[in-house]
Amino acid sequence: MDVVGRAQGGDQAAFRALYDANVDRIYRLMYRMAGEDHLARDFTQEAFLRAWQRLDQFRGNAAFSTWLHAIAVSVGLNGLRKVDRHRRRERSLEDAAPVAVGRRELDVGARERLAEAVDGLPEIYRTVLLMHDLEGYGHGDIAGILGVPEGTSKARLSRAREKLRATLGDAMKEYVG
Amino acid sequence: MSEERTDELTRLLREEYNAPPEAPRDEMWSAIQARLEARESGVVSLDQARSRRAARLRAPLAWAAAAAAVLVLGVGIGRMTAPTAPPVAEAPAGATGGADPGILRLAAVEHLGRTEALLRMVRADGASGWVDPAVGTWARSLLTETRLLMDARQEQDPAMEELLEDLELVLVQIVGVTEAAGGDQGRAREELILTLDGMERREVLSRIQAVVPPGAGLAGT
Repeated sequence: MDVVGRAQGGDQAAFRALYDANVDRIYRLMYRMAGEDHLARDFTQEAFLRAWQRLDQFRGNAAFSTWLHAIAVSVGLNGLRKVDRHRRRERSLEDAAPVAVGRRELDVGARERLAEAVDGLPEIYRTVLLMHDLEGYGHGDIAGILGVPEGTSKARLSRAREKLRATLGDAMKEYVG
Repeated sequence: MSEERTDELTRLLREEYNAPPEAPRDEMWSAIQARLEARESGVVSLDQARSRRAARLRAPLAWAAAAAAVLVLGVGIGRMTAPTAPPVAEAPAGATGGADPGILRLAAVEHLGRTEALLRMVRADGASGWVDPAVGTWARSLLTETRLLMDARQEQDPAMEELLEDLELVLVQIVGVTEAAGGDQGRAREELILTLDGMERREVLSRIQAVVPPGAGLAGT
Protein backbone atom coordinates (compact mmCIF):
# COMPACT_ATOMS: atom_id res chain seq x y z
CA MET A 1 0.00 0.00 0.00
CA ASP A 2 1.36 3.44 -0.86
CA VAL A 3 1.88 6.20 1.66
CA VAL A 4 -1.42 7.93 0.86
CA GLY A 5 -3.29 4.67 1.26
CA ARG A 6 -1.64 4.05 4.62
CA ALA A 7 -2.53 7.57 5.75
CA GLN A 8 -6.10 6.97 4.64
CA GLY A 9 -6.06 3.93 6.87
CA GLY A 10 -5.28 6.15 9.87
CA ASP A 11 -1.49 5.73 9.92
CA GLN A 12 -0.19 8.98 11.40
CA ALA A 13 3.41 8.16 10.48
CA ALA A 14 2.35 7.97 6.84
CA PHE A 15 0.56 11.28 7.21
CA ARG A 16 3.75 12.73 8.70
CA ALA A 17 5.60 11.55 5.58
CA LEU A 18 3.05 13.34 3.41
CA TYR A 19 3.44 16.40 5.62
CA ASP A 20 7.23 16.34 5.25
CA ALA A 21 6.97 16.01 1.50
CA ASN A 22 4.62 18.97 1.09
CA VAL A 23 4.89 21.35 4.01
CA ASP A 24 7.68 23.54 2.66
CA ARG A 25 5.86 24.41 -0.55
CA ILE A 26 2.54 24.89 1.22
CA TYR A 27 4.06 27.16 3.87
CA ARG A 28 5.92 29.19 1.23
CA LEU A 29 2.74 29.74 -0.72
CA MET A 30 0.76 30.65 2.40
CA TYR A 31 3.48 33.11 3.38
CA ARG A 32 3.44 34.68 -0.07
CA MET A 33 -0.31 35.07 0.23
CA ALA A 34 -0.42 36.28 3.83
CA GLY A 35 2.87 38.10 4.35
CA GLU A 36 3.02 37.17 8.03
CA ASP A 37 4.51 34.15 9.71
CA HIS A 38 1.68 33.54 12.15
CA LEU A 39 -0.94 33.63 9.41
CA ALA A 40 1.15 31.38 7.18
CA ARG A 41 1.51 28.93 10.08
CA ASP A 42 -2.20 29.02 10.88
CA PHE A 43 -3.20 28.44 7.27
CA THR A 44 -0.65 25.68 6.77
CA GLN A 45 -1.70 23.86 9.93
CA GLU A 46 -5.36 24.24 9.11
CA ALA A 47 -4.77 22.89 5.61
CA PHE A 48 -3.09 19.75 6.91
CA LEU A 49 -5.74 19.23 9.56
CA ARG A 50 -8.47 19.47 6.96
CA ALA A 51 -6.56 17.15 4.67
CA TRP A 52 -6.32 14.60 7.50
CA GLN A 53 -10.05 14.90 8.14
CA ARG A 54 -10.91 14.51 4.48
CA LEU A 55 -8.38 11.89 3.44
CA ASP A 56 -11.17 9.46 2.68
CA GLN A 57 -12.39 11.89 0.02
CA PHE A 58 -9.11 11.75 -1.89
CA ARG A 59 -9.76 9.44 -4.84
CA GLY A 60 -6.43 9.75 -6.60
CA ASN A 61 -7.87 11.55 -9.62
CA ALA A 62 -5.16 14.18 -9.20
CA ALA A 63 -1.77 14.07 -7.52
CA PHE A 64 -1.98 14.17 -3.74
CA SER A 65 0.01 17.41 -3.66
CA THR A 66 -2.47 19.05 -6.05
CA TRP A 67 -5.37 17.97 -3.86
CA LEU A 68 -3.56 19.23 -0.75
CA HIS A 69 -2.68 22.53 -2.39
CA ALA A 70 -6.30 23.05 -3.38
CA ILE A 71 -7.29 22.75 0.27
CA ALA A 72 -4.49 25.08 1.35
CA VAL A 73 -5.30 27.78 -1.18
CA SER A 74 -8.94 27.65 -0.16
CA VAL A 75 -8.00 27.94 3.52
CA GLY A 76 -5.60 30.79 2.77
CA LEU A 77 -8.02 32.81 0.67
CA ASN A 78 -10.85 32.40 3.17
CA GLY A 79 -8.54 33.31 6.03
CA LEU A 80 -7.25 36.40 4.31
CA ARG A 81 -10.74 37.68 3.66
CA LYS A 82 -11.10 37.92 7.43
CA VAL A 83 -7.91 39.88 7.89
CA ASP A 84 -7.51 43.57 7.36
CA ARG A 85 -4.84 43.51 4.70
CA HIS A 86 -3.90 47.13 5.20
CA ARG A 87 -3.31 46.59 8.88
CA ARG A 88 -1.00 43.69 8.04
CA ARG A 89 0.81 45.74 5.48
CA GLU A 90 1.33 48.65 7.86
CA ARG A 91 2.75 46.32 10.46
CA SER A 92 5.17 44.67 8.08
CA LEU A 93 6.32 48.01 6.74
CA GLU A 94 7.02 49.28 10.22
CA ASP A 95 9.47 46.43 10.60
CA ALA A 96 10.89 46.81 7.14
CA ALA A 97 14.45 47.87 6.61
CA PRO A 98 16.09 48.61 3.27
CA VAL A 99 17.21 45.41 1.63
CA ALA A 100 19.86 44.99 -1.00
CA VAL A 101 18.30 43.73 -4.20
CA GLY A 102 20.48 43.06 -7.19
CA ARG A 103 22.37 46.18 -8.11
CA ARG A 104 20.36 48.59 -6.01
CA GLU A 105 18.90 48.83 -2.58
CA LEU A 106 15.12 48.85 -2.58
CA ASP A 107 14.02 51.53 -0.14
CA VAL A 108 10.93 51.32 2.04
CA GLY A 109 8.94 53.61 -0.24
CA ALA A 110 9.63 51.50 -3.31
CA ARG A 111 8.85 48.34 -1.40
CA GLU A 112 5.58 49.86 -0.27
CA ARG A 113 4.60 50.79 -3.83
CA LEU A 114 5.44 47.32 -5.02
CA ALA A 115 3.52 45.66 -2.21
CA GLU A 116 0.50 47.90 -2.68
CA ALA A 117 0.43 47.14 -6.37
CA VAL A 118 0.37 43.39 -5.74
CA ASP A 119 -2.04 43.68 -2.81
CA GLY A 120 -4.34 45.75 -4.99
CA LEU A 121 -4.69 43.05 -7.63
CA PRO A 122 -8.01 41.22 -7.69
CA GLU A 123 -7.72 37.98 -5.75
CA ILE A 124 -7.98 35.70 -8.80
CA TYR A 125 -5.10 37.48 -10.56
CA ARG A 126 -2.94 37.88 -7.47
CA THR A 127 -3.18 34.18 -6.60
CA VAL A 128 -2.01 33.07 -10.04
CA LEU A 129 0.78 35.67 -10.07
CA LEU A 130 2.08 34.52 -6.70
CA MET A 131 1.90 30.86 -7.66
CA HIS A 132 3.45 31.17 -11.09
CA ASP A 133 5.90 34.06 -11.00
CA LEU A 134 6.95 33.97 -7.37
CA GLU A 135 6.73 30.29 -6.48
CA GLY A 136 7.28 28.66 -9.86
CA TYR A 137 4.10 26.58 -10.21
CA GLY A 138 3.28 25.54 -13.77
CA HIS A 139 -0.01 26.43 -15.39
CA GLY A 140 -1.03 22.76 -15.33
CA ASP A 141 -0.55 22.61 -11.57
CA ILE A 142 -2.28 25.95 -11.02
CA ALA A 143 -5.23 24.83 -13.11
CA GLY A 144 -5.55 21.63 -11.07
CA ILE A 145 -5.28 23.46 -7.76
CA LEU A 146 -7.71 26.24 -8.59
CA GLY A 147 -10.05 24.02 -10.56
CA VAL A 148 -9.92 26.13 -13.72
CA PRO A 149 -8.81 25.35 -17.28
CA GLU A 150 -5.13 25.85 -18.02
CA GLY A 151 -5.98 28.64 -20.46
CA THR A 152 -7.72 30.51 -17.66
CA SER A 153 -4.58 30.32 -15.55
CA LYS A 154 -2.53 31.75 -18.41
CA ALA A 155 -5.04 34.50 -19.07
CA ARG A 156 -5.15 35.45 -15.39
CA LEU A 157 -1.38 35.66 -15.21
CA SER A 158 -1.23 37.82 -18.28
CA ARG A 159 -3.91 40.10 -16.85
CA ALA A 160 -2.13 40.26 -13.49
CA ARG A 161 1.14 41.34 -15.09
CA GLU A 162 -0.64 43.85 -17.24
CA LYS A 163 -2.40 45.39 -14.26
CA LEU A 164 0.82 45.44 -12.29
CA ARG A 165 2.68 47.25 -15.03
CA ALA A 166 -0.16 49.72 -15.39
CA THR A 167 -0.26 50.39 -11.64
CA LEU A 168 3.46 50.78 -11.22
CA GLY A 169 4.04 52.82 -14.35
CA ASP A 170 7.57 54.14 -14.09
CA ALA A 171 7.63 53.93 -10.32
CA MET A 172 10.09 51.02 -10.28
CA LYS A 173 12.12 52.20 -13.22
CA GLU A 174 15.36 52.71 -11.32
CA TYR A 175 15.20 49.16 -9.97
CA VAL A 176 14.16 47.23 -13.05
CA GLY A 177 15.55 49.44 -15.80
CA MET B 1 6.79 50.07 -17.91
CA SER B 2 7.65 48.11 -21.03
CA GLU B 3 7.11 44.40 -21.60
CA GLU B 4 10.88 43.81 -21.58
CA ARG B 5 11.05 44.76 -17.95
CA THR B 6 8.59 42.08 -16.89
CA ASP B 7 11.29 39.55 -16.13
CA GLU B 8 13.16 42.06 -14.04
CA LEU B 9 10.01 42.99 -12.18
CA THR B 10 9.28 39.31 -11.57
CA ARG B 11 12.74 38.85 -10.12
CA LEU B 12 12.21 41.85 -7.87
CA LEU B 13 8.85 40.53 -6.69
CA ARG B 14 10.28 37.08 -6.02
CA GLU B 15 12.94 38.58 -3.80
CA GLU B 16 10.91 41.33 -2.18
CA TYR B 17 7.22 40.50 -1.98
CA ASN B 18 6.41 38.50 1.15
CA ALA B 19 9.65 36.57 0.84
CA PRO B 20 9.10 33.44 2.97
CA PRO B 21 11.50 32.34 5.69
CA GLU B 22 12.27 28.68 6.19
CA ALA B 23 9.16 26.72 7.15
CA PRO B 24 8.97 25.98 10.90
CA ARG B 25 8.26 22.32 10.16
CA ASP B 26 8.55 20.80 13.60
CA GLU B 27 6.65 23.55 15.41
CA MET B 28 3.77 23.32 12.99
CA TRP B 29 3.70 19.54 13.20
CA SER B 30 3.58 19.73 16.99
CA ALA B 31 0.62 22.09 16.79
CA ILE B 32 -1.14 19.82 14.29
CA GLN B 33 -0.55 16.79 16.50
CA ALA B 34 -1.88 18.60 19.56
CA ARG B 35 -5.06 19.52 17.75
CA LEU B 36 -5.50 16.01 16.42
CA GLU B 37 -5.05 14.57 19.88
CA ALA B 38 -7.39 17.15 21.39
CA ARG B 39 -10.04 15.97 18.95
CA GLU B 40 -9.47 12.35 19.78
CA SER B 41 -9.76 13.12 23.48
CA GLY B 42 -13.14 14.74 23.04
CA VAL B 43 -12.44 18.44 22.74
CA VAL B 44 -14.65 19.68 19.94
CA SER B 45 -12.50 21.08 17.14
CA LEU B 46 -12.76 24.60 15.78
CA ASP B 47 -14.03 23.32 12.46
CA GLN B 48 -16.60 21.06 14.04
CA ALA B 49 -17.75 23.80 16.39
CA ARG B 50 -18.02 26.32 13.57
CA SER B 51 -19.97 24.02 11.29
CA ARG B 52 -22.26 23.00 14.11
CA ARG B 53 -22.68 26.68 14.96
CA ALA B 54 -23.50 27.57 11.38
CA ALA B 55 -25.98 24.70 11.15
CA ARG B 56 -27.67 25.76 14.38
CA LEU B 57 -27.98 29.37 13.27
CA ARG B 58 -29.49 28.28 9.98
CA ALA B 59 -32.03 26.13 11.77
CA PRO B 60 -35.56 27.42 12.42
CA LEU B 61 -35.01 27.26 16.18
CA ALA B 62 -31.70 29.09 16.03
CA TRP B 63 -32.81 31.88 18.25
CA ALA B 64 -34.26 29.47 20.76
CA ALA B 65 -30.75 28.07 21.10
CA ALA B 66 -29.36 31.58 21.33
CA ALA B 67 -31.85 32.46 24.03
CA ALA B 68 -30.89 29.35 25.95
CA ALA B 69 -27.26 30.39 25.73
CA VAL B 70 -28.11 33.81 27.09
CA LEU B 71 -30.09 32.26 29.91
CA VAL B 72 -27.14 30.10 30.91
CA LEU B 73 -24.81 33.05 30.88
CA GLY B 74 -27.44 35.25 32.44
CA VAL B 75 -27.02 33.38 35.71
CA GLY B 76 -23.50 34.73 35.84
CA ILE B 77 -24.66 38.20 34.98
CA GLY B 78 -27.27 38.03 37.68
CA ARG B 79 -24.60 37.26 40.23
CA MET B 80 -22.50 40.14 39.00
CA THR B 81 -25.17 42.80 38.81
CA ALA B 82 -27.75 41.85 41.45
CA PRO B 83 -29.92 43.38 42.81
CA THR B 84 -30.26 45.88 39.98
CA ALA B 85 -30.19 43.38 37.12
CA PRO B 86 -33.48 42.50 35.43
CA PRO B 87 -34.93 39.07 36.14
CA VAL B 88 -33.06 36.46 34.11
CA ALA B 89 -36.26 35.13 32.59
CA GLU B 90 -36.81 38.51 30.93
CA ALA B 91 -33.29 38.72 29.56
CA PRO B 92 -33.59 37.29 26.06
CA ALA B 93 -35.56 39.41 23.66
CA GLY B 94 -37.03 36.25 22.37
CA ALA B 95 -36.72 33.09 20.45
CA THR B 96 -38.67 34.74 17.71
CA GLY B 97 -36.90 37.95 16.79
CA GLY B 98 -33.41 38.22 18.30
CA ALA B 99 -31.47 38.34 21.51
CA ASP B 100 -31.27 41.59 23.44
CA PRO B 101 -27.96 43.16 22.39
CA GLY B 102 -27.52 44.78 25.81
CA ILE B 103 -27.83 41.51 27.67
CA LEU B 104 -25.53 39.78 25.22
CA ARG B 105 -22.98 42.52 25.68
CA LEU B 106 -23.12 42.15 29.46
CA ALA B 107 -22.78 38.40 29.16
CA ALA B 108 -19.78 38.81 26.88
CA VAL B 109 -18.09 41.31 29.19
CA GLU B 110 -18.55 39.06 32.20
CA HIS B 111 -17.27 36.08 30.27
CA LEU B 112 -14.28 38.00 28.96
CA GLY B 113 -13.41 39.08 32.49
CA ARG B 114 -13.21 35.48 33.66
CA THR B 115 -11.30 34.46 30.56
CA GLU B 116 -8.83 37.26 31.19
CA ALA B 117 -8.20 35.86 34.67
CA LEU B 118 -7.45 32.43 33.19
CA LEU B 119 -5.16 33.83 30.50
CA ARG B 120 -3.23 35.86 33.06
CA MET B 121 -2.72 32.76 35.19
CA VAL B 122 -1.56 30.73 32.18
CA ARG B 123 0.80 33.49 31.13
CA ALA B 124 2.25 33.86 34.63
CA ASP B 125 2.70 30.10 35.07
CA GLY B 126 3.89 29.75 31.52
CA ALA B 127 6.79 32.10 32.16
CA SER B 128 8.28 29.33 34.28
CA GLY B 129 7.48 26.73 31.62
CA TRP B 130 4.65 25.07 33.52
CA VAL B 131 0.85 25.15 33.62
CA ASP B 132 -1.35 23.58 36.26
CA PRO B 133 -3.21 20.68 34.56
CA ALA B 134 -6.31 21.68 36.55
CA VAL B 135 -6.50 24.76 34.35
CA GLY B 136 -7.73 22.42 31.61
CA THR B 137 -11.14 22.00 33.24
CA TRP B 138 -11.52 25.72 33.61
CA ALA B 139 -10.43 26.31 30.02
CA ARG B 140 -12.93 23.70 28.74
CA SER B 141 -15.72 25.43 30.60
CA LEU B 142 -14.74 28.82 29.19
CA LEU B 143 -14.45 27.29 25.74
CA THR B 144 -18.03 26.06 25.96
CA GLU B 145 -19.22 29.48 27.09
CA THR B 146 -17.26 31.19 24.33
CA ARG B 147 -19.01 29.02 21.78
CA LEU B 148 -22.40 29.66 23.34
CA LEU B 149 -21.76 33.37 23.10
CA MET B 150 -20.65 33.05 19.50
CA ASP B 151 -23.88 31.22 18.74
CA ALA B 152 -25.97 33.85 20.41
CA ARG B 153 -24.44 37.02 19.07
CA GLN B 154 -25.15 36.73 15.34
CA GLU B 155 -22.61 39.26 14.04
CA GLN B 156 -23.82 42.26 16.00
CA ASP B 157 -20.31 43.53 16.64
CA PRO B 158 -17.55 42.43 14.24
CA ALA B 159 -14.74 43.35 16.65
CA MET B 160 -16.31 41.27 19.42
CA GLU B 161 -16.91 38.39 17.00
CA GLU B 162 -13.25 38.45 16.03
CA LEU B 163 -12.14 38.57 19.65
CA LEU B 164 -14.37 35.61 20.55
CA GLU B 165 -13.01 33.62 17.61
CA ASP B 166 -9.43 34.30 18.70
CA LEU B 167 -10.30 33.37 22.28
CA GLU B 168 -11.82 30.14 21.05
CA LEU B 169 -8.55 29.26 19.37
CA VAL B 170 -6.43 30.20 22.39
CA LEU B 171 -8.66 28.21 24.75
CA VAL B 172 -8.44 25.14 22.49
CA GLN B 173 -4.67 25.50 22.62
CA ILE B 174 -4.67 25.76 26.41
CA VAL B 175 -6.77 22.63 26.69
CA GLY B 176 -4.26 20.96 24.36
CA VAL B 177 -1.35 22.05 26.57
CA THR B 178 -2.92 20.68 29.73
CA GLU B 179 -3.64 17.37 28.01
CA ALA B 180 -0.13 17.12 26.61
CA ALA B 181 1.20 17.84 30.11
CA GLY B 182 -0.11 14.45 31.18
CA GLY B 183 2.19 12.74 28.68
CA ASP B 184 5.26 13.99 26.83
CA GLN B 185 6.63 16.90 28.87
CA GLY B 186 8.84 18.13 26.04
CA ARG B 187 5.91 18.42 23.69
CA ALA B 188 3.80 20.05 26.41
CA ARG B 189 6.45 22.74 26.78
CA GLU B 190 6.52 23.28 23.01
CA GLU B 191 2.74 23.56 22.98
CA LEU B 192 2.88 26.02 25.83
CA ILE B 193 5.36 28.19 23.98
CA LEU B 194 3.14 28.16 20.89
CA THR B 195 0.10 29.03 22.97
CA LEU B 196 1.79 31.94 24.72
CA ASP B 197 3.13 33.13 21.40
CA GLY B 198 -0.37 32.95 19.92
CA MET B 199 -1.78 34.97 22.81
CA GLU B 200 0.81 37.66 22.22
CA ARG B 201 0.42 37.74 18.48
CA ARG B 202 -3.34 37.99 18.68
CA GLU B 203 -3.05 40.58 21.45
CA VAL B 204 -5.98 38.93 23.20
CA LEU B 205 -5.29 40.33 26.66
CA SER B 206 -5.05 43.94 25.53
CA ARG B 207 -8.17 43.49 23.39
CA ILE B 208 -10.04 42.05 26.37
CA GLN B 209 -8.88 44.93 28.54
CA ALA B 210 -10.30 47.35 26.00
CA VAL B 211 -13.75 45.82 26.60
CA VAL B 212 -13.77 44.69 30.22
CA PRO B 213 -14.05 47.11 33.12
CA PRO B 214 -11.44 46.54 35.87
CA GLY B 215 -12.55 43.87 38.34
CA ALA B 216 -15.08 42.18 36.10
CA GLY B 217 -12.93 39.08 36.01
CA LEU B 218 -13.58 38.43 39.68
CA ALA B 219 -17.26 37.82 39.12
CA GLY B 220 -18.37 34.25 38.78
CA THR B 221 -14.92 32.76 39.30
